[in-house]
Amino acid sequence: MIWPEAIQELIEEFIEIEDKFEKLEVLMDFSSEVIELPSDEWDESNRVHGCQSQAHVVVTLEDEKVSISCGADAKIVQGLMGIMSIAVNGSTCEEVIALTPDFAEEMGILNSLTPSRSNGFRTMFDMVKNSVKEMM
Amino acid sequence: MLKDQFPILSRQVNGKKLVYLDNAATTQKPQCVIDAMTHYYGQSNANVHRAVHTLAGEATEGYEECRKLLKERYNAERAIITSGTTESINLVAHAWGRSNLSKGDVIVLTEMEHHSDIVPWQMLSQEFGVELRFVGINDDYSLDMEMLEEAVKGASLVACVHTSNVLGIRNDIESLIKISKSVGARVLLDSAQAVPHELIDFKELGCDFMAFSAHKMCGPTGIGALLVSEEAFAEMSTFMGGGDMIETVTLDHSTYQKNEHRFEAGTPRIAEGVGWAKALEWIDGIDLENEHSRLLGIARGVAKGLQDLGMTIYSGLGDLDAAVVSFTHPSIHPEDFARLLDAKGIAVRTGHHCAQPLMARLGISGTIRASFYLYNDQSDADDLLEVTKLIVERMS
Repeated sequence: MIWPEAIQELIEEFIEIEDKFEKLEVLMDFSSEVIELPSDEWDESNRVHGCQSQAHVVVTLEDEKVSISCGADAKIVQGLMGIMSIAVNGSTCEEVIALTPDFAEEMGILNSLTPSRSNGFRTMFDMVKNSVKEMM
Repeated sequence: MLKDQFPILSRQVNGKKLVYLDNAATTQKPQCVIDAMTHYYGQSNANVHRAVHTLAGEATEGYEECRKLLKERYNAERAIITSGTTESINLVAHAWGRSNLSKGDVIVLTEMEHHSDIVPWQMLSQEFGVELRFVGINDDYSLDMEMLEEAVKGASLVACVHTSNVLGIRNDIESLIKISKSVGARVLLDSAQAVPHELIDFKELGCDFMAFSAHKMCGPTGIGALLVSEEAFAEMSTFMGGGDMIETVTLDHSTYQKNEHRFEAGTPRIAEGVGWAKALEWIDGIDLENEHSRLLGIARGVAKGLQDLGMTIYSGLGDLDAAVVSFTHPSIHPEDFARLLDAKGIAVRTGHHCAQPLMARLGISGTIRASFYLYNDQSDADDLLEVTKLIVERMS
């Protein structure tokens, strides 16, 4: 599959890291890419189901471009949210809808996560796409 | 070495030697158990009890051997084979609860229960109006026995976890049984975490129901048992209907088996029964008392090491408790912890461990839990501490 440039770069960066521990450390660094959703705005309406830990995502549309703000209590989830932010923020609705979370598998981060966490990432992705669809 | 009997322990995870410390969730299987199940499917597979051909005879013998060994090992009159602890408890709720309890009757539980010893009773309570009373725990995680003495007044059933899957605490079930029996209540023990660590004499213990699973004692998944006293067995009504549990069936009505088969409708877990029988034989050759002390020694060392690294420990680790170390770090999320440990080949459990009311009582949302079993040794503990130290350094 041909990915948008930003995602392709991410895939290449992660593929190079063989050690799982290191891969997770790098993933956690991506938490800095997140537009933070303050914890007092975490509620049932923006909760990501399927995650064992707390994870919340809010999608907004500004000048026809998608933007997500996210919050999570686990650092690895924050890192996943950072990756998702890079994939989604600034894209058009059509571009977001065309995306699949499979790039995370290519990066080797879905493999290094438990099924429930992987499902959480997929759920998070679906949540964003569904919100975008509703806004269109 | 005992470890060598477990093929899975020689595999690598994420490029590292597997250190398996999630034994309270499930244990690994020795080669002899795997071989017994493979042999059964390769040589003896047939349905049990009815047919007269040779394979059916071998299958029946293999499956019933499991029941025989259970009765012998635990000195029990009745051993109903189920899918595991959860089904065993649900069986009591359905087969005993529904025919012996009605609106206003009281069931006593504790704050320490696994969800499988809460939810079936909540369902029964919602349907029949049975009252549920919960006994709290003290700050040292022991059961509040004064509260128990109050709660059992007028109770029909007391259902309690024998050894906590979260804290490793082995409850004073001898006193609990005595107190419960003094008011005429039936007693059910969730012994899923106790059976792997201690040899229990069911009759001497004097409870009515004891539920446990094979897979926590090196046996297969999908099979467990409910030991039942003769008195309680006589009070149980049929639950699931179908083949194997009947004597005769006409279009008008059916008559049922008088023995344990009455509660084992349908084709049972034959290969699993064969595998569990082998696991029971295998574990019979192990000095559990000695092993228990050895594992406790390792777990105590781990708890001390983790404390030195800034962790809060939620475990008893008294002489009778299981070798389970539950812990949290003040700032590192348990899931991050477990994920990073896994990246180094170390398997632990995180989360609420299916005991959310206990988590609420402890004021936490989850813990990281390292649980030790027969094949674990000091090197596993050292690996855990070493990687934990690395994680704390990197994440601080």
